Amino acid sequence: MRTFALRLRLHVRHGWIVAVACAAILPAGGTRADDAPAQPAAPPGLAIYREHCLRCHGDNGVGTQAVPDPLAGERSINQLAAYIDETMPEDDPDKVSAEQSRQVAEYIHSAFYSAVARDRNRPARVELSRLTVRQYENVAADLFGSFRWNAPGIDDRRGLRAEYFNSRDFNREKGLVYEQIDPEVDFDFGIEGPDPERFRPNRFAIRWSGSIVPPETGIYEFVLRSDQAVRLALNTAWYEPELIDATVKSGTDTEFRASLRLLGGRPYPLRLEFSKASQGVDDKTHEHPRHASISLLWKPPHGTLEPVPARVLIPVDSPQVFVLKTPFPPDDRSIGYERGTSVSQEWFAAASAASVEVADYALAHVEHLARVKRDAPDRADKVRQFAQAFAERAIRRPLSADLKALYVERPFADAPDLDAALKRSMLLVLGSPRFLFREAAAAVGTPAPDGFATAARLSFGLWDSIPDQQLRDAAARNQLATPQQVRAQAERMVNDRRTRAKVRDFLFTWLRLDHGPEIVKDKTRFSEFSPEIAGDMRTSLEMFLDDTVWGTAATASRPATRSDFRRLFTDDEVYVNGRLGPFYGVSMRADAPFRRVRIDEGRRAGVLSHPYMATVLSYAGSTSPIHRGVFLARNVLGNVLKPPQEAIAPLAPDLHPTLSTRERVTMQTSSVACQTCHTMINPLGFALEEFDPVGRYRTAERRGDLEKPIDASGSYLPREGAEETFRGARELAAMIAGSRDAQEAFVRNLFHAVVKQPLRAWGPDTLDSLRKSFAANDCDVRRLLVDIITVAALPPPATASATPSPASAPPPQPPAEKPS
Amino acid sequence: MINRRELLRRLGVGSAVLPFLGNLPSLAATAPTAAKKRLVVVFSPDGVVKKNFWPTEMGAFTTLPPVVQPVELPPILRPFEPFRDQLLMLKGVHDKVQGDGDRHMRGMGCLLTGIELFPGNIQGGSDTPAGWSSGLSIDQEMRNFLQSKPETATRFGSLEFGVLVPNRADTWTRMVYTGPNKPVTPVDDPYQMFHKLYGQLKDRESMKSVLDELREDLATVANSLPADDRRILEEHAALVRNFEKELSSHHAEVKHAVPVLEQGIVEQNDHMPKISRMQTELVVASLAADFTRVATLQYTNAVGQAHMKWIGVEEGQHDLSHEPNSNESAQEKLTKIDTWYAGEIAHLAKRLAETPEPGGNGSLLDHTTILWTNELGEGNSHSLDDIPWVMVGKGLGFTMGRAVDFKGVPHNRLHLALAHAMGHTGLTRFGNPDYCGDGPLTGLV
Repeated sequence: MRTFALRLRLHVRHGWIVAVACAAILPAGGTRADDAPAQPAAPPGLAIYREHCLRCHGDNGVGTQAVPDPLAGERSINQLAAYIDETMPEDDPDKVSAEQSRQVAEYIHSAFYSAVARDRNRPARVELSRLTVRQYENVAADLFGSFRWNAPGIDDRRGLRAEYFNSRDFNREKGLVYEQIDPEVDFDFGIEGPDPERFRPNRFAIRWSGSIVPPETGIYEFVLRSDQAVRLALNTAWYEPELIDATVKSGTDTEFRASLRLLGGRPYPLRLEFSKASQGVDDKTHEHPRHASISLLWKPPHGTLEPVPARVLIPVDSPQVFVLKTPFPPDDRSIGYERGTSVSQEWFAAASAASVEVADYALAHVEHLARVKRDAPDRADKVRQFAQAFAERAIRRPLSADLKALYVERPFADAPDLDAALKRSMLLVLGSPRFLFREAAAAVGTPAPDGFATAARLSFGLWDSIPDQQLRDAAARNQLATPQQVRAQAERMVNDRRTRAKVRDFLFTWLRLDHGPEIVKDKTRFSEFSPEIAGDMRTSLEMFLDDTVWGTAATASRPATRSDFRRLFTDDEVYVNGRLGPFYGVSMRADAPFRRVRIDEGRRAGVLSHPYMATVLSYAGSTSPIHRGVFLARNVLGNVLKPPQEAIAPLAPDLHPTLSTRERVTMQTSSVACQTCHTMINPLGFALEEFDPVGRYRTAERRGDLEKPIDASGSYLPREGAEETFRGARELAAMIAGSRDAQEAFVRNLFHAVVKQPLRAWGPDTLDSLRKSFAANDCDVRRLLVDIITVAALPPPATASATPSPASAPPPQPPAEKPS
Repeated sequence: MINRRELLRRLGVGSAVLPFLGNLPSLAATAPTAAKKRLVVVFSPDGVVKKNFWPTEMGAFTTLPPVVQPVELPPILRPFEPFRDQLLMLKGVHDKVQGDGDRHMRGMGCLLTGIELFPGNIQGGSDTPAGWSSGLSIDQEMRNFLQSKPETATRFGSLEFGVLVPNRADTWTRMVYTGPNKPVTPVDDPYQMFHKLYGQLKDRESMKSVLDELREDLATVANSLPADDRRILEEHAALVRNFEKELSSHHAEVKHAVPVLEQGIVEQNDHMPKISRMQTELVVASLAADFTRVATLQYTNAVGQAHMKWIGVEEGQHDLSHEPNSNESAQEKLTKIDTWYAGEIAHLAKRLAETPEPGGNGSLLDHTTILWTNELGEGNSHSLDDIPWVMVGKGLGFTMGRAVDFKGVPHNRLHLALAHAMGHTGLTRFGNPDYCGDGPLTGLV
């Protein structure tokens, strides 16, 4: 009986109900079948095919001597069914009924006939891919970064360094009174100033410096509020103008804004100067008591305006980061992860414009990048050396004599001046497939083993970027040849902000939150809900994910925690701040920063009940067990759910005032057609009914006159083993934490996000061995990353012999239904 | 008004080259045009030596009949000798704007805006501290007007040139405002201005110059790959070919000579003459290409401190300008300095006169007026009366070849007259309305 249920769930393709809104959250298509977790059981059409078709058309329609052309074409199932019913089998078309014809048409269409099926049946291989947009941006940033000093590593220090001066300028020798760490810049000094004992009220200055580490890539708006002279340098070199220069105070202008696109997870240099004193001529005649205040605020891509929080500030300087401005068209994500396996006119135009932007930046900063003065006698040599180093880092390997001639010697010999030579050299490099395409550099006439290709796979895998100095050195010394050597590098590289940024992006994609969903809630029922609350929820989730994936150091009040995938589900604490805490019944000061709190007496279960997830996976006025269930079934447990053939609007709660949400969903999905998928979806989603549309814990559902106790019982039938039952989020979490399905799905998703190539290209057993290692290491995500990249950085084992070679089989020639 | 993208679509240019197209002729190129009118405002600082700047008597400069006895050109204006017929000097046009800020600050911030500075935190050499101007400048008023109409809209609308403007933004260094508290930074690096004007053209040339080698490189890589991987590179190669075709299409060509700048000129005092000439060439080219019809060219800043060693003056201009009139040596040096500025402006006039008006009659100078001005009337007294106003060129249709004394009218009325002459005849008030009196200054035409 159970086997039958499994079969139905996975292979009946009709009648799947999902709300219209699903389309916005869940991408069409889903996981490609070549990575499907379970092998299909035999559909009814297969038996008919074997009985009536196989002898002429061969196994899987490959053809026979009698009918050599393979069965492949462009007809739809209906067209195919009609064709078969009329003409097949050739000796007696009546042997197969219309219904059987339809079944056989469905089978051959999905198994090998259609273009989709043919594509799916191609053996998985590592495909030549161009840089994804994210990779291009990171590579551009790191190419220039590699000629500057190293950005600060990860540590626990937060806030900004603050120097306080009793003068109007910032001379440490003459005016420095003290320095300290300020967590944020949000001060009202009144008329007296910070300390009447040590500062004259109308003559003091403060300089804050350090770096800002934005959590995600996007456009950040910075707002500087002050009634005194202020300047904000953010990601600007010392020789460039500040982002905001409000040295001149004029009229009633006290607010200054600037927007900046930043790549997530990287530190950007920040310097903020404040001076309470007249500027211009140093003359105190016109000084009189004045008020002074300053606040530095920002509006992150998915947040609301707030003081820049201490958690994104570090009191350590960092070098300028090059952030590409040229917009690229988005990458193909149709199979669940970004990949660069196609090129288009728009992409090419963007890449060309980007190459010019990168070259122009190099020209503008060449004196600092090449470390040479404009009028230095050895300027030409230094610039040429820079061009060569740039080329080698860009194409991720040393230049052969031919390439050196092409990229460096010829441009420098031919161009009219040094600037033109450098520009030409860079345009050649940045336009080359050796730069633009990931595996191209490795494929071109290089003897195996190729340490430079391995170095690039490591760095692109963990950082989406080019190798650093240590990787280049290791490659040059042939120290990336064994799995042990690769693993040692991977273990070093995991502790890098770029890995964290990449994993954070992955997690948000995995949780389907990467686009920053627009959240709308019923204003009468959830009057306290606001965009600020929504922004805090997202931040709370970000912090929770970081903790869980990377572990936390011990503090006075809590022991250290290790990286543990299972805690994503089982952790019962939630990060709340002064706004979010009271919303969930925790009394906190209104301006309290985020801290971890065990709320609702331990009934919380990690991401499952996280306020943001519960809220996003709900409607404005009611929960959506279907959204929650689809998320669990597909993203967390890794099942393939095909979208419903027709979109169906959810039943309006008002039309069924006596039904609970659970009852209403059950009613709407009760037909046999719906049940094939909803027997899996609903019992997962129902288990989270204890959390209302804004993620608050509840024991009863109240709506109008309705008051019904929550029934949070649910079940899940794993791909192997017996059905599991549970009640509520905690028990669901325990089930998922021990679930092989969930681990397997996570390993597969993470592999694809990291490597951007099909996992199956590394052989049929790789998934299982990675999963086993993951389980054996207490689901340590950091360790899993190292395992994945250690496998993927070395060339795939000779899989060509294990799977049919694409070269040996002739490509199918549609259309080819020749009657035999 | 059609936008750029729409224009490109009509030209049939594909999206692949979009980032590389930019040096389009005026957006209005295809529309029937009336004769173009252009204005270039040139600023030099610190007042003038009055006795050597103003003619001893008002009257005709021109030698054309019926003039029999033309007025002698004062020493500072002698570089304009070849342009006597196209010269117009206005005396008695005062900057009457009061309020916060010292005279240099008000002189600068109110020069083109005609309205008070906001109270602020910039302490001058005297008076109360002040901030930015509380209104937009007349060049930007004209820009907004011209850009609002398809027949006068240009690629940039206005261009703000500078020569050695110090790298700090304050009331002394900003003359152009797009609105209250919105000063515009002049571009004083000729290479930066060149990039703004011609960057995309140069990018096209650079791309073209590497395409052959790119294609070779692509072929080498493709040939070394298995067939399955070659597909995407073949598609890539097709895009390169397509790109090359589009780059070579005649739509991408510019229709005028692009100025060639001497390379490697660093922004420093001693390079002022070179930078001045480089910027001059870019002004001329911008007008010829109809990139803009309004331009400003700001030499240094209010309180400007150029050390003109190349004409034998070692001291800074502002220091000299504080010397009393009795200091003959200082007066002589300041006269030299102002004569140098006059020479640069006369050179600009010469370059405009040498350049034919595209698609029209005469020269660019016949359709352009240069307006030379200053934040002060006199340096040592810091007077805002008798602000220097010298015009060259026939662009605004004024009666040229003379000096006129208006005996103390507020300069807001001059701005109104300039706007009307540029076609912006609906403008009845500009800056502080109290200084607009009887409307546009009469007697210019």
